[in-house]
Amino acid sequence: MSVNAPAIACEGLVRTFAEVEAVRGVSLTVAGGELFALLGPNGAGKTTTLHMLTTVREPTRGTASVLGFDVRREAASVRGVIGMVFQEPALDDRLTARENLQMHAVLYAIPRAETAAAVDRALAWASLEQEATRTVRTFSGGMKRRLELARALMHDPQVLFLDEPTVGLDPQARRHLWESVRSLRREGLTVFMTTHYLEEAEGCDRVAIMDRGEVIALGSPAELKPQVDGAPLGSLEDVFLDLTGRELRDEEATPRARLLAFGKRGGEHTR
Amino acid sequence: MTRAPTAPVRPPLDVRVVTSFWRRELLRYWRDRSQIFGGFSRTVLWLVILGVGLGAALRQIEGYSYAQYILPGVVTLNVLFASMQSAIAIVWDREVGLLREVLVSPAPMFSVALGKVLGGATVAVAQGTIPLLFAPFIGVRLTPLHVLLAWCVMLSMGVLLTSFGVVVASRMRTFEGFGSISNGIIQPLYFLSGSIYPIRGIIGGVGFLAIPDSLRLQLQHFGIYNVGSGWVVQLPIWLRVLLYANPVSYELDLLRNVLLRFRQLPSGADLAVAIVLPLLATAIAARAMRRMYRH
Repeated sequence: MSVNAPAIACEGLVRTFAEVEAVRGVSLTVAGGELFALLGPNGAGKTTTLHMLTTVREPTRGTASVLGFDVRREAASVRGVIGMVFQEPALDDRLTARENLQMHAVLYAIPRAETAAAVDRALAWASLEQEATRTVRTFSGGMKRRLELARALMHDPQVLFLDEPTVGLDPQARRHLWESVRSLRREGLTVFMTTHYLEEAEGCDRVAIMDRGEVIALGSPAELKPQVDGAPLGSLEDVFLDLTGRELRDEEATPRARLLAFGKRGGEHTR
Repeated sequence: MTRAPTAPVRPPLDVRVVTSFWRRELLRYWRDRSQIFGGFSRTVLWLVILGVGLGAALRQIEGYSYAQYILPGVVTLNVLFASMQSAIAIVWDREVGLLREVLVSPAPMFSVALGKVLGGATVAVAQGTIPLLFAPFIGVRLTPLHVLLAWCVMLSMGVLLTSFGVVVASRMRTFEGFGSISNGIIQPLYFLSGSIYPIRGIIGGVGFLAIPDSLRLQLQHFGIYNVGSGWVVQLPIWLRVLLYANPVSYELDLLRNVLLRFRQLPSGADLAVAIVLPLLATAIAARAMRRMYRH
């Protein structure tokens, strides 16, 4: 293992579901301390790529490593050094903010003696000290996000993964989240995120544009812009639409989407 | 960037993880009063309304009033509901809940599954205790020892059924209501356990024999004989086969023996099922949870 192993490296990453190839040979490297975004339309394979890098799903083919740990063979080591915020809140909404953080301390084997202090620090970081004993069910989307981000940082990860972190947030909450992400990056944390908001990708060090399971462009936002014919100073949106096409992306609802829709309707025994 | 030291291997059994997830199930139960309300309403419907109503027609089964006879069955029904609810919550937990957080953490899934199953079973014991509160009103006297033994049987039943539910839930990709679980799992297990009718037994009571001799002869053709002051009834063979194949029958039989001192199946089989199956089921549930998402 070289001393300057990249924070994240993957080579020929493929993932198939039934017969569908969701990710079709993704290769990229992310340097330590970089703020990296996977940009793409819905269904491009961004989340699946992120799930493979975070050991949530096993790759069908290809290799991937985080801080030099192989996601297949050394999954436990990968899990110990990363923080993750999922697209939908991964909180128990019948537990309080404090209880959710305590569960995190248990999962990451933060010693008992240090748990109370770590939980308090996270609550302060999320500005949720006053709401610590409220069940998460009563929280707004922005509060849940802040809690999740604080939780993902509790065990001092070296690489932070964020899946569409600003979806569903109001402008204030979105701004606050971005300020947090930038300050984390200044502290040297590697941040890997997915987004379909172009203005968010503009603020990243490097961007990989993904479509139909493949990376179709990769570089800094400034490098990507001249790729558009006849518009050397065009916006990243032009690049994006130029590369991915302008037709609307209609997707069939997945079982997961149907489950979430059922949950929103609120039937018996939802959650 | 240098490579971080390899994480120490965490053993599959982490007591802190087990107790945290056990406690989580109890907190969730305590904060969702609708489940407790459901436990009471089921008890009133089955034990009081059906028990007394049908009891007026049946008089007695093996010397017990009908309400007394179905008391262990109502306990079982509450255990079934609580176990399945707790298990099916996994479908949500996996898509939009804490379980996703567990999946990216280095915590051993075996311990998470064990905490989940023990927590679900403990909630099942709490729910199964609700019908016991009604025991004095239907003339069943329970000593603390009886209650303690009943709790042991309920715990065994809860572990078995929560584990079974976890295996089902881990294979479910979507979920559009509890109805299919109720109709497809809970009710068949309940009705085919001997909960509301005996496999073989004497029904009736004083005054039950006041029917014409011709009708008595006709009933004999169906295998129904009068003995003493009642009738000996026996289930048709196909129903008996289903009943013997249902593990809940043995757990229920053990519970009935504890609560009413009456049983219908070999006690060796009852004990074997109550001790061995929950352990086996827990191991299968833990495996199902480990494999749930990655593949």
